[in-house]
Amino acid sequence: MAATDIGTNFAGRRGRLFWLALKTSVLTVLTLGFYRFWMKTRLRRYYWSSVRPGGLPLEYTGQPLEKLLGFLIAVVFLAFYVGIVNLVLVFFSFALIQDNIAAYLLSFIGVIPFWFFAQYRARRYVLARTRWRGLRFGLEPGAWGYAWRALLHWLATILTLGLLWPRMTFWLEKYRTDRTHFGSVRLTQGGRWQMLFRPLRPLLFGLALSGGGLLLGSNGQPAAFWLLLPGAPLTLYGFVHYRVRSFQLLTDHKTAGAIGFRAHPRPLRVLRIYSVGGFFIVLVLFLMLLGFSAALAAILSVGTLGEDLLSELPDLMQALPTWATALVGILFYFSFFIFWGVLTQVFLTLPLIGHYAETLQITGAPQLALIGQRARDDFAEAEGFAEALDVGAAL
Amino acid sequence: MTPAPQIAAVEAYADFLDGDVAVVRRVRLSLDEPAAALVVAPPEAAPQAWPFAEIRQLRDQASGGEVIVHRIGDPVARLILRDPATIRLVEARCPNLHRRPPAQNTGRLAAWAAAALASVALIIFVLVPAMANRLAGFLPPAGERALGDTTLEQIRTALDDTGFRPLPFCTAPAGTAALERMTGRLTAGVALPYPVTVHVLDHDLINAFALPGGYVVFFRGLIEEAETPDEVAAVLAHELGHVVNRDPTRIALRSAGSIGVLGLLLGDFAGGAVVLFLAERLIQATYTQEAEAAADAFAHATLAAAGIPPSALGTMFQRLLEEYGDAEGIVAHFMSHPALGDRIEAARRADAGLTGALRPSLDATDWRALQRICR
Repeated sequence: MAATDIGTNFAGRRGRLFWLALKTSVLTVLTLGFYRFWMKTRLRRYYWSSVRPGGLPLEYTGQPLEKLLGFLIAVVFLAFYVGIVNLVLVFFSFALIQDNIAAYLLSFIGVIPFWFFAQYRARRYVLARTRWRGLRFGLEPGAWGYAWRALLHWLATILTLGLLWPRMTFWLEKYRTDRTHFGSVRLTQGGRWQMLFRPLRPLLFGLALSGGGLLLGSNGQPAAFWLLLPGAPLTLYGFVHYRVRSFQLLTDHKTAGAIGFRAHPRPLRVLRIYSVGGFFIVLVLFLMLLGFSAALAAILSVGTLGEDLLSELPDLMQALPTWATALVGILFYFSFFIFWGVLTQVFLTLPLIGHYAETLQITGAPQLALIGQRARDDFAEAEGFAEALDVGAAL
Repeated sequence: MTPAPQIAAVEAYADFLDGDVAVVRRVRLSLDEPAAALVVAPPEAAPQAWPFAEIRQLRDQASGGEVIVHRIGDPVARLILRDPATIRLVEARCPNLHRRPPAQNTGRLAAWAAAALASVALIIFVLVPAMANRLAGFLPPAGERALGDTTLEQIRTALDDTGFRPLPFCTAPAGTAALERMTGRLTAGVALPYPVTVHVLDHDLINAFALPGGYVVFFRGLIEEAETPDEVAAVLAHELGHVVNRDPTRIALRSAGSIGVLGLLLGDFAGGAVVLFLAERLIQATYTQEAEAAADAFAHATLAAAGIPPSALGTMFQRLLEEYGDAEGIVAHFMSHPALGDRIEAARRADAGLTGALRPSLDATDWRALQRICR
């Protein structure tokens, strides 16, 4: 690490995040989903302020009310599409093939371009509301350009059975990066798309092993199924490896003027976060389900805590009066999803961001002093389309 | 009251981000007590006065021991306080430190909220129904049948209390045969676009409804509530009227359009609730007054032709109205139009249309079988 490099600290803590996520999730349920704009804002403030390149925290300045406004704007546009187009699709689907599968399929396909559009717009909003060292980030407009490029890249990737995936990863990242600004300086994505083939190798190898095993195994050579034993885990690891290593390569080839980046995330560490976090989440939710069943059995004083308690659940529910069943059901349904969301934040999102943050360095830090402010991007629509289409802009 | 901590001006420092350049400056802080302001003095720049009342702390921050404050009206400048004594000092002086900054754009927000509500209402209540009415006439019978199949499954699943399996049909053989005989008598000589299928669902609701493609569904509650088979026949005739006029198809298409819009508004967090709402709408389907009148007229003519007094429809409404008041099951369904009294009266008058001899819609054996269809 050169003297002009700066590292990144991470100040996020599980306990603090747990209470923040729990409190805001409960409020979201109690307000029939309205509070979700506040929840998202507050969680982002926490995450952003946890990430501290050179010891100075990022700041998230997005406002809940502007998210609500953006959502309302998106609703006005999308209500028309969803209402009228769905009706017409359902009509033709039933009229022509007596089923609504075609309608769902077409409706889904029709939404895909909007999906990429919304993703880009959400990124523009989030960057416009992110600051570091008092300066705003920003993303130039260009959502439709992004949407059609993403569509074509996906098509090419699917047609080549995934071989052109690195090409898509690179060019879409370049499209976004080359339009990203930090204050008065513009970021540039360097490198070539072919450099991302190397990170893809474990995945290709894993897929070849698994595919070969399945193909030979189901064609009269059952011994070939053993190939799945190394093949399946390698495929899984290959996905993580590609994500992590391609992120690293792309980050290392980004520049902002004379400023550069060095990322050192470790695929095995990321895999461990996923496995350990996933295990904890499933464990806690399973214990919740068990506790819920036991409580129900105790209330009814029927049966003992047997191993087939879960299969008796429907019968147990039947024995309760309707309003009680409804109440218990609603309570359980919502607490299950609240805890699912909260635990995902605590055991997956937080450690992942932490790992990516702590392994990031910025080079040429003295050049930062030359960067000035950029104007505010007064983006009324915020991330409304992403919110309405559920583009996974949860963070 | 403990006196507010005093500060020797030279001892208090903070990191200052001016929001113009990406440079952190060490600034000296001092207090201007008469003006009630914190004076921030950057090197080589004019000192700024930050009124105590306008200073706010950033919220929901992960803590590395520091406190970041800003000033209302200055969107970019930040002071990063790291020294505990300085933090205590600012906390003691600034009365609004933990208050939310004032909301902006509330007028614009209200305008968009109104526009969103208006456009959603326009789509759900005007555009979608108008299109559904048009399109329903063009849907071929096989398509209607498929639409009915799908919605019946959704309703059965949604109505089940446990949420684990679809609500069962009642299929006792003798009762089913009795119901078929009743349906046969009512539909004899009626031109139907598709064969009629009558189901009984094992549920307490006192209600019956029609679905696209010739489905008529009774709840067990209605059959138990009826005092004579003629009352069941009268309700069946009314629902058959909706089938003949394809009213359920309009409603189902309308829901297909409006359900997505509602899902959009509520977010995926209430996915289950939307399906439930769809079921509710189909069962409590509020048809237009003309559609109800047409179904009544159809029922009167059909019943009279089959030798069943049309007044049975009125008798059933009358008793339910007296027993349950306004807001229960079928009464609510039929009460959706203020002219219920008129409709009871019209049913009585339709008895004049009876020409041949009266024949009860089911004999005593069949009626008992129908009453026991769910056992």
